[in-house]
Amino acid sequence: MSTTLVWSAISVYIVIALVIALLSRKGKQNNMDSYFLGDRKMNGFVSALSYSATTYSAFMLVGLAGLTYNGGVGALGFELIYLMGVTLVAFFGPRYWKVGKKFGYVTPSEMLGDRYDNKIVAAVIAISSCVFLIPYSAVQLSGVGYLLQGVTNNAIPFTTGLILATVLALIFSYIAGIRSVAWTDSLQALFMIVTSTIVVLVLIKGLGGFGGFFGTLETDYPEYLTVPGNGFFSFLNFLGLTIPWFFFSLSNPQVSQRLYMPSSLKSLRNMLMGFLVFGFVYTIVAVVWGYSALIMFPDLENADLATPFVLQSDLVPPILGVIVMVGIMAAAISTIDSILLTLSSLFARDVYGNFKKEASDYTQLRVGKFVIPVIAVLAFLFAQMEVNLIAVLSVSSSAGLLVSVPSIIGAFFWKRGTAAGVISSVVVSGIVVIIIEFTQTKPLGLASGLWGILISTLLYISVSLITKAPKEKAKEFLSI
Amino acid sequence: MKINEFKWALCILFIIFIAYILPYTLLTNVAKWYGSFLLWVVLAFTIIIINYFLTKDWGKE
Repeated sequence: MSTTLVWSAISVYIVIALVIALLSRKGKQNNMDSYFLGDRKMNGFVSALSYSATTYSAFMLVGLAGLTYNGGVGALGFELIYLMGVTLVAFFGPRYWKVGKKFGYVTPSEMLGDRYDNKIVAAVIAISSCVFLIPYSAVQLSGVGYLLQGVTNNAIPFTTGLILATVLALIFSYIAGIRSVAWTDSLQALFMIVTSTIVVLVLIKGLGGFGGFFGTLETDYPEYLTVPGNGFFSFLNFLGLTIPWFFFSLSNPQVSQRLYMPSSLKSLRNMLMGFLVFGFVYTIVAVVWGYSALIMFPDLENADLATPFVLQSDLVPPILGVIVMVGIMAAAISTIDSILLTLSSLFARDVYGNFKKEASDYTQLRVGKFVIPVIAVLAFLFAQMEVNLIAVLSVSSSAGLLVSVPSIIGAFFWKRGTAAGVISSVVVSGIVVIIIEFTQTKPLGLASGLWGILISTLLYISVSLITKAPKEKAKEFLSI
Repeated sequence: MKINEFKWALCILFIIFIAYILPYTLLTNVAKWYGSFLLWVVLAFTIIIINYFLTKDWGKE
């Protein structure tokens, strides 16, 4: 792919996205509610697209396509089980939304701190989110790095891609907070889904239509249509990958914070349904994409390069290839800017706001804006470590966030839950996940996420039972 | 949890259970498009339909 063509397409994308971001400015944006939650007035359509763009990142067309390339149909099962997990929003969405409106919560960790009547709870959850989401953002940044490097045959170096993605994410979150993020997200989500679907249709047609496509897979790569197939998706591996992602909609604050934003329950519903349909289509597109790479280029050493190869293949016209490449870049950036914004709100509200006396809403906002670039730089540094298989690192951040799930479920459904239960479960199991990831071990064959959720559930319940639970907030949360 | 929610939750849990078990048992040797590929697609679609009904009355209460 010619470097000039790539740079031209990126420039067009930047100009359009910047215009949209500038147009999205509305109101004074001088308080936390306005900057981070859009005054809780987001409409369903924008919320759905923005939720989709935030959730689906460079991971889909780079990582998931790569997983399909490596392990076959298990990748589809993995991602669709994640999608089924978003059904949790149908149960927790209205509860988050109602308590958010009633008590004015800006962040999910603030909500937990108030529910368990303990500021340390809020701070611990906020800090653990930062610890695990910065690597996750780094994964997205390296996605852009690999992509630009791959499609231009190293003419655009890895680091240039990283810098570009970091700067754009920063700008999109700075211009108008969640409003610029949501509107640029929406543009990017539409762009991602339309262009990648077109490419997949072109690929299927080029590879002999539906019959020819699956015919080739069935004859030449039968193990890619079953699990465990070639062994990549052994049952325990599959479980280890899927469980953290199943709870993603609750465990990841950049998406659960979205539950406070819709203007009404009807908008919340539109957000959920819109996202489910988007996710369904996009998952199938990404998996078929990975299969196409397998049929066309069966001998790649690094599965993460499957997508750049597909984009440069003879089947995809160069203009379409470059447009999709920008779409993938946009997918990564739309995820990073949301994470930047959420993490900065967590820090400002739950760490600074809780421990600095007289931290007014306005000061919290200023601190939040100051933290955004700090987090971006951290993610950038982490990304430069160039970790090999993108999906694995991404999943391990999800495993680390999973440990807060028992406390979140308990907040709405178990009146005996206590602050000590939350803190011990999040801290201890968070550390266990980090140790397992760091040493690359699998005690008893179980992945880090499974250990994390087992230990955190056990600790949350047992420690809660021997400590005193807050009564009033528990009652309000359980009856909402 | 309301009774209506509880019924749907059971239904969803059952579907997720199938999504884990069938591909690793009955379909483990069915190397066709109508094997695990189709099963997961159909189950995910079913969950979307359930969500449609589960959330039908939001905002009307």
